[in-house]
Amino acid sequence: MKQTARRKVLVVCLGNPDRGDDGVGLLVAKKLAGLLPTDVAIASLSGDILSLMADWAGFDAMICIDAAAPLTAPGRIHRVDLATSELPRNLSPGSSHALGLGDAIALARVLQTAPRDIMIYAVEAAAFDSGTPMTPEVAAAVDEVAACVVADVERLQQIVAKLAT
Amino acid sequence: MATKTIRVDFLARIEGEAALDLHVADGQVVTAQLNIFEPPRFFEALLRGRGYAEIPDIVARICGICPVAYQMGAVHAIENAVGVAVGGQLRALRRLIYCGEWIESHALHVVMLHAPDFLGYPDAIAMACDHGDMVRNGLALKKTGNELIRILGGREIHPVNVKPGGFYRVPQRAELEQVAENLKQATENAIGLLRWVATFRFPEFERDYEFVALRHPDEYPLNEGRIVSNRDIDIAIADYTSQFEERHVAHSTALHAVVKRRGAYLVGPLARYALNFDRLPASVQALAVAAGLGPVCRNPFRSIIVRAVEIVYACEEALRIIADYEPPDAAAVPVEPSAGTGFGCTEAPRGICWHRYEFDADGTVRAARIVPPTSQNQPSIEADLVGVATPLLDQSDDVIRSRCEQSIRNYDPCISCSAHFLKLAVHRS
Repeated sequence: MKQTARRKVLVVCLGNPDRGDDGVGLLVAKKLAGLLPTDVAIASLSGDILSLMADWAGFDAMICIDAAAPLTAPGRIHRVDLATSELPRNLSPGSSHALGLGDAIALARVLQTAPRDIMIYAVEAAAFDSGTPMTPEVAAAVDEVAACVVADVERLQQIVAKLAT
Repeated sequence: MATKTIRVDFLARIEGEAALDLHVADGQVVTAQLNIFEPPRFFEALLRGRGYAEIPDIVARICGICPVAYQMGAVHAIENAVGVAVGGQLRALRRLIYCGEWIESHALHVVMLHAPDFLGYPDAIAMACDHGDMVRNGLALKKTGNELIRILGGREIHPVNVKPGGFYRVPQRAELEQVAENLKQATENAIGLLRWVATFRFPEFERDYEFVALRHPDEYPLNEGRIVSNRDIDIAIADYTSQFEERHVAHSTALHAVVKRRGAYLVGPLARYALNFDRLPASVQALAVAAGLGPVCRNPFRSIIVRAVEIVYACEEALRIIADYEPPDAAAVPVEPSAGTGFGCTEAPRGICWHRYEFDADGTVRAARIVPPTSQNQPSIEADLVGVATPLLDQSDDVIRSRCEQSIRNYDPCISCSAHFLKLAVHRS
């Protein structure tokens, strides 16, 4: 006999609310409140990603939302599926005492604590200055990112894991 | 005259930005200059005109890895200026949050930044392929240290719950009992980490350092004590400038601190351990001896073992404090501003961090001065580099570069704190 179980999904929203557009991930977390199934874990993180990597173990899928360096246009949303793409590494420019998301995921994969499926939503920022308000174009991307995350969560949960009993 | 240059444009696994120039003549390293080009951050200037109560939150921003050190130095200096003493459980809680910082800072450096040097890996991610258990161990220790800081400081980076006189809020027993369970496992993890690093192969290198650290009558030092050295310095914290001076050097945006009329000195784990071995519990002393350490260690490469010893100590000390904890009636004792000057000095993970503030009658900061550990260690780092590089001059530039980088990481330097890192150039003539 075989049973099916919904896959465990973790949503991680990253950012610093005091650094302008860097807070976009945390705004998405607020927007997602009440929109996700109750068995989906959501974590808002503005501190140390290293100490939380152990908490990724046991999840089948993870969706990360973070601000990205300016590239083309503020507020532009980039969706990266790590099944088909890689995040650039060694991009943590200011500190050796903190890992960037790409390095953290690489380390978690080596340590076998990384979820099998990982999606990244990166919102292009315009400015990361301390104490400045969020750029309107970046703030305007919050609703769309949240909607995409809701759809991805539903899809990721539907990838049914068959458990032999 | 032939000149050869080896350049390291960026030193990995340290905090901040700098470069290193080695000047070689007649087969000898003449000078080693650590060129710190991180922009000055002007914290002392921006503290002027601010209220005394704002200082702990401002100085916490100096460093993301050791904010507690800056907060503790500041609150002790403020209290020193107004004649307030904080004792009992509030004093114990300050020691407890500092244990959290030692655990997270040392665990990060030992596992993620320093261990790859000894095992021949470019970074901790590559090292994790073969030593995953120890990387998990280090990450678990860091998480436990962060947890202590979060409970007592309100958040794990740049905590916001420290104030002159104590805290804005003190934890309930149940909050600390929860982290105590994690600390018991952390102690086991720390002992495992200590035994692992003790198996590393260390370069044969020793220097006759002048060790400088705090010394307390009863405790392994964290927040209090007299400033002592192994060369007869034994002074009150307020008298720091009677024995030490900071100097501008052309090649660094960070000041260099020296002992007056003598020169370089060493702060940090090696100094703290050598001057306070007798203040460690017998259980921790026994673990240190089993790891191959005597009561004094002069090999800077073995500082990784001393850091691991200090992680064990911090875990045990945190458990002791929690076991004795009873929530105090008030989260802080009253601190009323008055005109005056106050001094504070505590043992940051990287060594003593000295503060001096002048206040107006209403508590406004008239002047501030902060001497971080990495500034104090810079002359010693440069002296180490001369000693380490000289026997290697017949070897390839890559070998010299690698060993010099490892030597600098012996110090776990925080350039961001000191001004604040590494390009290496070897000039051979």
